[in-house]
Amino acid sequence: MSSTAQRLADVITMPARNAGSQAASVAGETVRHLRDWTTNEVDDWGRDAAFVHRVWTFSRLRWATSVGGVEHVPKRTGALIVVNARRYALAPVFAALAIGAAVDRPVRFVGRPDIAPLGPMMQRLGALLPIEAELEVALRAGELVVLGAAHTRTNLHTGLIDHQLVGAAVAAKVRVLPAATMSVPFQRNARVEIGAPIRLSHKRRGPLEELETADHLQAHINAVLDEMGGTITGTPIDWLPNNWVGRV
Amino acid sequence: MAGVRVLISGMGGELGSRVASLLENESWVGSIEGIDADPPRRRLRRTVFHRIVPGQHDRTVKVVTDFNPHVVVHIAVWEPHARAVTATARNLTDDAATSILGAAAECRALESIVIRSGIEIYGRGRGSVTRPSEQVAPNPTSEYGHMVAKIEDTANAIGSRVGVSVGALRLATVLGPHVPSALGRLLRLPAVPFSGLADPPFIVIHQHDAAEAFVMAARARIDEPLNIVAPGAITALQAIRRGRRIPVPLIGPEWAAVRGLTFLAGAPLPDHVQEMLHRGRLADNARAREVIGFSPRTTTSDVIEQLYRWPSVIHTPAAQEVA
Repeated sequence: MSSTAQRLADVITMPARNAGSQAASVAGETVRHLRDWTTNEVDDWGRDAAFVHRVWTFSRLRWATSVGGVEHVPKRTGALIVVNARRYALAPVFAALAIGAAVDRPVRFVGRPDIAPLGPMMQRLGALLPIEAELEVALRAGELVVLGAAHTRTNLHTGLIDHQLVGAAVAAKVRVLPAATMSVPFQRNARVEIGAPIRLSHKRRGPLEELETADHLQAHINAVLDEMGGTITGTPIDWLPNNWVGRV
Repeated sequence: MAGVRVLISGMGGELGSRVASLLENESWVGSIEGIDADPPRRRLRRTVFHRIVPGQHDRTVKVVTDFNPHVVVHIAVWEPHARAVTATARNLTDDAATSILGAAAECRALESIVIRSGIEIYGRGRGSVTRPSEQVAPNPTSEYGHMVAKIEDTANAIGSRVGVSVGALRLATVLGPHVPSALGRLLRLPAVPFSGLADPPFIVIHQHDAAEAFVMAARARIDEPLNIVAPGAITALQAIRRGRRIPVPLIGPEWAAVRGLTFLAGAPLPDHVQEMLHRGRLADNARAREVIGFSPRTTTSDVIEQLYRWPSVIHTPAAQEVA
């Protein structure tokens, strides 16, 4: 009788024991992860490679980003990659993450605010302040940096490109690459297409060089966006005259 | 280039003693003399030491002019709350800079001045460059930053007046065994405050690497400022976790109270260290590699690891009880 009662008690208490051990295991894992996260290394610019990896892994749940034209990106030296930026798409961030994963090099991006807690958090992702001197130091140090153009509502054309920031690349004597980004709010697929480095037909000695480089960048990105034909969602939304998701 | 006479100010400190020790092994160095308020912290074979308190201008001028150095390595800089409170540190640094650099200007043989500065000179105001190179204009925002900026100004004025090269080594926070440092003391507290909202990265430099940089700079007779920092960076929370200390995240107004508590705990928090915990402090060291071939051996993470491995003072009981 007593053995029956004991068996019954075991059956009754088993789930409780399991739940307790599982909770302890989950808590232990969480503590271990927290410990790992707080002892990560940051590089000379404050970029946390482990944090970037986690964000990139997490972002792939939402976006399936493909990168083209990787052969134009230098393997060791610095380069400025200028991308078009659709509003709310965080194009420079995801372009930097995608290109970084494609070329297996840390890629930074311009555009972090200098205020806590957002600024330091973006610094962990590799963000730089939108200051010429900061960009120039990074490019001279052989870093790949993504710069976003002014925001636009659609993917059909790019916004203005800050020629003063492009001037940092001219001063640092590094390649300037155009890149077109394409994404849709309601779809998983996104694309980053990197073009060949911009070369001016006339060598300029003064500030015209960055102005003309910025103009060439804008024209090149617009041409690539034209080739891509805007974003097609595959839904009746595409038939609307102005659907705010990429096609007009 | 042989038989060069080198004068080291601040030779009593750990950094100055190490620089003297390294210079003794250099073939181009003929004779070495040093000045400080405290005696050197290691055995030196061929270095002559003069114990002179900053402010004794007449004695300083006599010793320096009698020695008539070719190269002056000026390390006599007091970081606030490292060995002296801020006001005293400022006065000692000013006195030392004025008397030693002023006396050096009177020496006919003088060819080069190498001074100790700090990356605090760049300041960390809003919108300042995250990782400044030497081309970024100084804009100090802390007391220590203003102190080193003043030393650089003084040295540059003397250099241009008497026509000698002036090089400044802008050091990150120097950490090492026995190096008095406000940051080192703070990080070794059992519970360490840090900025919970920002936790930005900072860099340091090991004392041995800093000493080697001074020797390289003196040998090369540099004529420009150079950032001397260890590779890599670390945040305060990461440092605290490595040291197995208790992290105390702070978000703003409680910092004033915490400054008082750390002061009582024996680790006063000067404004440049607090600024570093709030805004971070990085610098680009590519130019030092180009100009003097400086390549630090210890990374920032390793310096912090070593900081926590340095043993505390161990009190050994007397072999024979006398009372």
